[in-house]
Amino acid sequence: MTDSATRVILKAELLAWRHRLLGRSPVRLALLGIFLLAGAVFIGGGAFTVGAAAGHFLPIARDTILTGGFTSLSVLMLVIGFPTVIATFFVGRELLQLVLAPIRPLDIFIARLVLAMSANLLISSILLMGTLGVGVGSGAPIVFYPLTFLLIFVQVLVVTALQAILMSIVLRWVPARIARDVAAAVAGLSGAGFYLAWNINLRQSFSPQNHPDLSNFTSLVNHVEWLPSAWPGHALSAVIAGNPSEAATWVLFSVVLAVLVLAIAEILYRRTLLTGLGVFGGPPAIWRRGAAKQAIAVARQGAASPFRAIALKDWLSYRRDIRRLSRMLPAFLFPVGYAFAFLRPSRSITGFWTEVFLVGFISMFMSTALATPSIPSERRGFQLLRMAPMTMAQVIRAKIMLTLPPVLVLTFIFSMVVATVSASGVAQYVELAALVLWLGTGFVAVGVSAGAIDPRFDASDDRRAVGLVGTLAGLAGTLGFGLLSVGALALVVFGYSATQGIKQLGPIPATPEVGALMWAGGVVLLVGAAAIVITLLWFANSRLRAWEGAIASV
Amino acid sequence: MTPPPAGSPIAVEAQNLVKSYGVVRAVDGVSFQVRRGEIVGFLGANGAGKTTTLRMLCGLLTPTSGKALIDGFDIHAQPLEAKARLGYLDEEPFVHPHLTGREFLNYIADLYRMPRGPERQGRMEKLLGLFELADRNGELIGAYSHGMKQKIGLASLLIREPSVLLLDEPTNGLDPRSARLVKDLLEELAALGTTVLLSTHILEVAQALCKRVAIIDRGHIVATGTIEELRAQAGSEQASLEDLFLKLTAGPESRELIERLLA
Repeated sequence: MTDSATRVILKAELLAWRHRLLGRSPVRLALLGIFLLAGAVFIGGGAFTVGAAAGHFLPIARDTILTGGFTSLSVLMLVIGFPTVIATFFVGRELLQLVLAPIRPLDIFIARLVLAMSANLLISSILLMGTLGVGVGSGAPIVFYPLTFLLIFVQVLVVTALQAILMSIVLRWVPARIARDVAAAVAGLSGAGFYLAWNINLRQSFSPQNHPDLSNFTSLVNHVEWLPSAWPGHALSAVIAGNPSEAATWVLFSVVLAVLVLAIAEILYRRTLLTGLGVFGGPPAIWRRGAAKQAIAVARQGAASPFRAIALKDWLSYRRDIRRLSRMLPAFLFPVGYAFAFLRPSRSITGFWTEVFLVGFISMFMSTALATPSIPSERRGFQLLRMAPMTMAQVIRAKIMLTLPPVLVLTFIFSMVVATVSASGVAQYVELAALVLWLGTGFVAVGVSAGAIDPRFDASDDRRAVGLVGTLAGLAGTLGFGLLSVGALALVVFGYSATQGIKQLGPIPATPEVGALMWAGGVVLLVGAAAIVITLLWFANSRLRAWEGAIASV
Repeated sequence: MTPPPAGSPIAVEAQNLVKSYGVVRAVDGVSFQVRRGEIVGFLGANGAGKTTTLRMLCGLLTPTSGKALIDGFDIHAQPLEAKARLGYLDEEPFVHPHLTGREFLNYIADLYRMPRGPERQGRMEKLLGLFELADRNGELIGAYSHGMKQKIGLASLLIREPSVLLLDEPTNGLDPRSARLVKDLLEELAALGTTVLLSTHILEVAQALCKRVAIIDRGHIVATGTIEELRAQAGSEQASLEDLFLKLTAGPESRELIERLLA
């Protein structure tokens, strides 16, 4: 009975997934195939090669590498997996249907667990390839390979169940009126905090002489070897070392832990499913009255403006949407955390180009998190914008203007902190500020365009709110704009040096003429970067104007 | 095809509207006119093409061919002018679940550039009171019942006083008291010059409210006119709108279907 109910639910999900896949145009399917194939070859092949090289050339570090790999997989799942876990275990009309059906909560739990694990399993395929590579590189016995599959599966199972437990604990013991906020904080900060702490410590293992200090790295990972996330790694390294009893012990530990975590997760889920449906299933019934009144007071002032209307609506929606909030918190935490890391006395940031890279990375990261889903997140409300007397160009402009301030402010603060720590001169401050403004604006425009080019308005999750075409357009645009912009800056900086007679580029002579030529090249690159953004904006506007699908309510 | 009564200017005009999805023609050459201040019923079975036609009229769908005019403005060629005059209520209203009713009405009023101030605020309070939503301060729309969402959707149209209302099942999910309120309200608005094109399955509502009806079947308009004109067309003086509708959109008799089901 249990099996058949679970099987029925999973079969229906598979069928829906198949219909979604086959519902795509042949071109999109082909693009998806190419994308997956390229990903498998480059990422999977790369991980396998790195693993094989490490397994062969670093026999002493095998245990460290394997335990580190499993721990990093756990951290990654904790960082990015909570929204999926919340959505799968506690949200959705189909879940309501299951609750109404004569099905035991155990069946629902198993089916939802399998679904929640599917995304994490996809991520874990990178670790799988790397670990298989370690096995091949170190000449592991044949049992190593099936055991790798089993232990990675167990690890994904444990972390997914652990996430369900954390959410269930919040639902069970935190008062309902603040449960959403607490859950958002737990979901947003636990993984990100874990990651930052780990990352900041890892950075200490790199000495100021610019070469990695592997012994320090090893000692750090050794500190966390007692963590359950490292147990599967110990099991696999024991197999390679030809120590079956030790391997069996670690496997037993891992499996027993998985059974325990699963049992706790199931018991808690059974008791919190209905509460969770109420808390996470939709917006909270009552919002804090003070906040609502304040919003109205803001709305009462000044002249009517669609731009301000969208801004206020987006701001209110963000604050009240648990899933979006839980994704945004890490986005805000990372720049702050990294800035903190660089402020520490042991940090030594030298070199203007390191700062440029960091500014580029942070503004790109913030833009991807905030700008890309900004149009698809309108959901069915997008129809209101289409019916309102405003153009799609105005909608795109509004979204860009709304996303720019947080991206610029955070990136600006971050870059100024880094510049101060590295004792930059006034000119470098100005250059960094200009770079923040240029890159931030460009990346935000590219992000908003990517969302507008291929929006999925009926996606319940922002991470699925942009289709394949939009994602590829966003990636290409970000890469093109970023490279051309940094290239332009390089030409301007080196061109200035050349005009001053300072030779920095090997055989290239440092003369005013060469400097002028470099500046001209920089301008060309800048124009090219701007052209990429303008093209994407134009394409986004055309796509939105032509958009006319129905939007199902989620 | 019966033309609309002469006199008032034409507020809504569908000119040979066609909407194709591949080889399927969801709407096939639909034409009709609605004059200012009229309430016209737009009737049809499930999947007949009502919602597709309404969505072409309000600009949510681009017709494969044909034109949709609102107060003389082509909704696709002059969208801003047409949209400023138009209010469309979907069968399942487009609302923002994370806003309260007041916040949503403010949002819509701002989108349509309604001047802020006591007049707008007063109108908003009146509408919230009228639809019994005034005491829901702090409650988010996502937590509203279907009927309440329908009411806030209607309020969001009425706050900006559009001259043309396109309503897709506006009384769907409303309690009898609210449904009556909506009917009375539409009559009042029509008397003040608002044009209403009303799509509904509830034929009693259409019979009570609409001076004229247009019946669509499988993408084609099969009849337009007053109830009396339709009766004359069907050759049955005593027929109800339900009888006329069933006759004009003929399919297997319900008794026959039930017998087949129970066989």
